[in-house]
Amino acid sequence: MTEPSDFERLALEQLDSFWSYAVRLTGRADQAQDLLQDALARGFERFGLFDRSLSFKAWMFTIIRHIHVDDLRKGNGRRLEESLEWQLIEGPSEISESPLYAIPLDPEAILAQRESVERLQEAISHLPAEMREVVELRDVEGLSYREIAGIVKRPVGTVMSRLYRGRNLLRSFLVGSKPEDKSAESRRGL
Amino acid sequence: MDCNTVKAQIFPYVDGELAPATLAEIEAHFTTCESCSRLVDLELRFQAAYTRHLRPEPAPSHVRERLAGILAELNPSVTGRARRSLRRRMALTAVAALLVVLGAGVALMGESIVRSRGALVSLAEAAVEQHQRLTRDVLPPDIHGVSPKSAEEWFRKRLNFNISVPELSSERLKFRGGRIWHLDGVETAALGYEVEGSDVSLFIMPGEAYRKLGLKEPPRFRLVTRRGYDVIVWQSQVNGVGYALVSEIGGRACVVCHSPDEIRESAATLSAHH
Repeated sequence: MTEPSDFERLALEQLDSFWSYAVRLTGRADQAQDLLQDALARGFERFGLFDRSLSFKAWMFTIIRHIHVDDLRKGNGRRLEESLEWQLIEGPSEISESPLYAIPLDPEAILAQRESVERLQEAISHLPAEMREVVELRDVEGLSYREIAGIVKRPVGTVMSRLYRGRNLLRSFLVGSKPEDKSAESRRGL
Repeated sequence: MDCNTVKAQIFPYVDGELAPATLAEIEAHFTTCESCSRLVDLELRFQAAYTRHLRPEPAPSHVRERLAGILAELNPSVTGRARRSLRRRMALTAVAALLVVLGAGVALMGESIVRSRGALVSLAEAAVEQHQRLTRDVLPPDIHGVSPKSAEEWFRKRLNFNISVPELSSERLKFRGGRIWHLDGVETAALGYEVEGSDVSLFIMPGEAYRKLGLKEPPRFRLVTRRGYDVIVWQSQVNGVGYALVSEIGGRACVVCHSPDEIRESAATLSAHH
């Protein structure tokens, strides 16, 4: 039997993550399939340029996101009013590039509540798009800060800021308080 | 380093993003500050509970089939041939990432308990990541459909360390197969099991690689929870090889290597790390 190519092998290893990311970006399974098909083809074409010392997953995520943004720019049938899409095209006005650096909310109350999957998913869906993306790339996909920075094309400090604020906002929501930042961020087009 | 500075670095700390020097400073602070130590423990518990529910959604089978077909077509060496369907799901092991971490850990970690904890967590992270990959098929096993004894003989002919594959001690346990992975001249063995319907991966590393983690006994068994998985790490008292057992069923996975009686005895020596 012919052996799979390196690209095929690496892509199959990460297929669930690619799929999940594509669904999160597009919000639709059919569009996610198309997006992923395009991304795999482009990744294969450019695989010779891939630096093997880096993360293949992060490299492919960058391609997936880039194609998605291109699709949005071309108006390929996707809604533009959604905040993430807006952000991806226009780029966000940064919330805060100042040091992160308040104290994280104590997670004890949330742990005691034994949150359900549904509540967690709901809480994530309430995060402003730019925070949601970074939280998901870190906490769902396990990417490093530097890898995330490469994907979202922002400095590592910005990634840390978004992650910090996103996680704390998530906690605010889980313990029952209104996620106040969301409306504020939305008004700012984030 | 004061408490406010430490607390501001909690997220980078639990994410494993701190530079070695900062990590050492923070770990030193934890040994003297109960408040900060408690906070980081809560944070790690929160992350474990949180990420347990946040794994990537598996691609539906029809999507996976389609994309696998596309990938096969992209492979120039297979044009015109009928491509395999997806390989059957199999919990086996291998461990490139695991060894990368071990190797990196050697460079960064010394003999201190502080740094050992960081190496242990990094090891657990890598083991979990590899377990996730390998339980979602993709790589074929080097051997399957054989007894653990046969697998052990097979590995011993091919590995340069003294591997011991545990016999099946329970009817709840199924041995699925094994694999050798080569990385920079280092060979690592990995075994896949099914325990009570759950996938369990057992990574076996050379004793030298385990020792470089800098873990001191007691406790003999260390439990690390990462991304919703339980990783139990220990060293064989017989031949010195190191083990990392990854599962979603905690101590029940220990049936892979130990009888129920041994598990009960060992429970008292299990130390949780986050």
